[in-house]
Amino acid sequence: MRKGFWVTLVVLLGALGFAQGDKLKACWIYVGPVGDYGWSHAHDQGRIAAEKALPWLETQYVESVPEAQAEAYIDRLVKQGCEVIFATSFGYMDSVLAAARKHPDVIFAHATGFKRAPNVATYMADFYQLYYLNGLMAGALTKTGKVGYVGAFPIPELKRHISAFALGVRTVNPDAEVLVRWIYEWYNPAAAKEATEALIAEGADVFAFTEDTPTVIQVAAKKGLPSFSHYSPMKRFAPDQVVSGQLVHWEKIYIDFLAKVYAGVYTNKNLQDVDYWWLLPQGAVELGGAYGEPVNPKFAGALKAKKLNHPVFGEISVYDLVMKELALMSDVELAADPFQGPIKDRQGKLRVPAGLRLTKHELETMEWAAPGVKGPWPNEPK
Amino acid sequence: MEDWIWTTLVRALAFGTPILLAGLGEIYAERSGVVNLGVEGMMAVGALAAFAAAQSSGSPYLGLAAAVLVGALIALPFAVASITLRANQYVAGLALTMLGLGLSGLLGKPYEGAPLAHPLPESGFVVAALVLAVVLWFFLRHTFTGLVLRSAGENPETVDAMGINVYAVRYGAVVFGGAMAGLAGAFLSLAYRPSWADGITSGLGWIAVALAIFAAWHPLKAVGAALLFGALYHLSYRLQAVVSPEFLKAMPYLFVVLVLSLSALRRGPSGAPEALGTPYVRGERR
Repeated sequence: MRKGFWVTLVVLLGALGFAQGDKLKACWIYVGPVGDYGWSHAHDQGRIAAEKALPWLETQYVESVPEAQAEAYIDRLVKQGCEVIFATSFGYMDSVLAAARKHPDVIFAHATGFKRAPNVATYMADFYQLYYLNGLMAGALTKTGKVGYVGAFPIPELKRHISAFALGVRTVNPDAEVLVRWIYEWYNPAAAKEATEALIAEGADVFAFTEDTPTVIQVAAKKGLPSFSHYSPMKRFAPDQVVSGQLVHWEKIYIDFLAKVYAGVYTNKNLQDVDYWWLLPQGAVELGGAYGEPVNPKFAGALKAKKLNHPVFGEISVYDLVMKELALMSDVELAADPFQGPIKDRQGKLRVPAGLRLTKHELETMEWAAPGVKGPWPNEPK
Repeated sequence: MEDWIWTTLVRALAFGTPILLAGLGEIYAERSGVVNLGVEGMMAVGALAAFAAAQSSGSPYLGLAAAVLVGALIALPFAVASITLRANQYVAGLALTMLGLGLSGLLGKPYEGAPLAHPLPESGFVVAALVLAVVLWFFLRHTFTGLVLRSAGENPETVDAMGINVYAVRYGAVVFGGAMAGLAGAFLSLAYRPSWADGITSGLGWIAVALAIFAAWHPLKAVGAALLFGALYHLSYRLQAVVSPEFLKAMPYLFVVLVLSLSALRRGPSGAPEALGTPYVRGERR
């Protein structure tokens, strides 16, 4: 009797699985809570958009997964039938590779990483172009010549963004400094708040950040100081103070990747060289603190009033410069790039020779700091 | 230099406020003999209650009231478990932290990603916390009820012999501790960073528990301790170029270990309530 029950159950479950055979189950692992309104929130928006766009897609997610415990969570997701797993934090890298060896039939995609395998692809919607454009605006808006930057961890991704930002700031304001403070956490509102307060105390009057909450914006807005949104449309947290920012459209990558998996283009055998590095031209990122609005109209006047003598464009307002560079950087051929040589690092060493740009690999492993960056910089090359 | 002292003091007061408020509540609970490690959870629930009530009613003061009420309410099941049912206080407290964090995260989903329309100023909370510290010190030291509360933590048999219900006293202290943790949570979501997010407390509740020990369970010393912790936290960003931020952030906990070690070396009473962490059983000899 008992045996009969189990047999029936197994048959039923098998039939259920068969009936759903057309569906593809993709699962996401987030490092922070979905509601963080930053990094994890943006990935989840991408997941929701992909689910809406692809009728055959079934999704699931786990949030706040500590980087050290990723492997156990992946094991559980595989048991629950996930066929594609997106791991959305740099720190998951080695766990993903270990899990991929353990589960060779499952397809993995790891955001921000650089290690791949036959069943592990990597992907990134990178912001370094946008940080440069934000930097141009920050350089125009600072009165004290000090721009504050709150960073989560001193890893190449942030160093690349801060340096691109600083290059933008210095293009408009050659004497300005970018003061950097690290909070050593992706998600800690109290730490982000106190880091911002410390920067205000040091005289910074324009703010940008890379961590997963709108805290920096809120703290700066309380003092009436402008800031740049990060990841999600955070303009609503301070409509009068958010100048612009970086917005992401992860769904562009998710939909492309999943459609190719579904069509059999991507399998668990051929992902060794699949590496998405999507920027402005692919529409994976967008300039602004709110969708469809590259620059807050409240700041358009100030940015149009500030003029500079640009080596390429000659006499031009910061506003026009931002729009020109945005158009060039959105071009498929990437007609302009923030890291266009010659560029020296803050110690005076030539990092990008004249006429050259940084390669993707150089961008991904970048440890040096651009001139004007002030603050601790672990692993800075001598 | 003056500017340095001034900004550090201002930030120390602001960052010190939630840990002072919650720490005062914890001091009361512990002086009555009950260790409540659920501060982090109670604070999170209080923060959500404050934000939800303030956002939907438009009045931040209603948010304050909601935080205090909900903080007190969520402390009740812990009080039942640890006082009436005599469960291990440490385990029950940890469970309360997990419950509070989980519950607030789940129920808070609809409130995420929106700023509070009418926030309260930080300074109001700062002043209230300082005044409360003095009032609570006076109450504990100079009133009969305060004496009874302290006795419940030092020698509950005596309180019982006086014809006073030890359980009632401990319930009162634990529930009051919950209300204070709720108030600390309200500071976070109504003033400090006027919005709600899962995990808004980010470990402040644990610093509050450490504060109670560091202050030797004394409400006035708690003010100094909160200021010290707040100043260290602020300086961990100001001095980042010079001193490792990890080291400065670990300082509050290092201080607690140091103070505990030093007071253990000293002869005489350690400052901890004698019956701290011990469930009271009527008629049983310890």
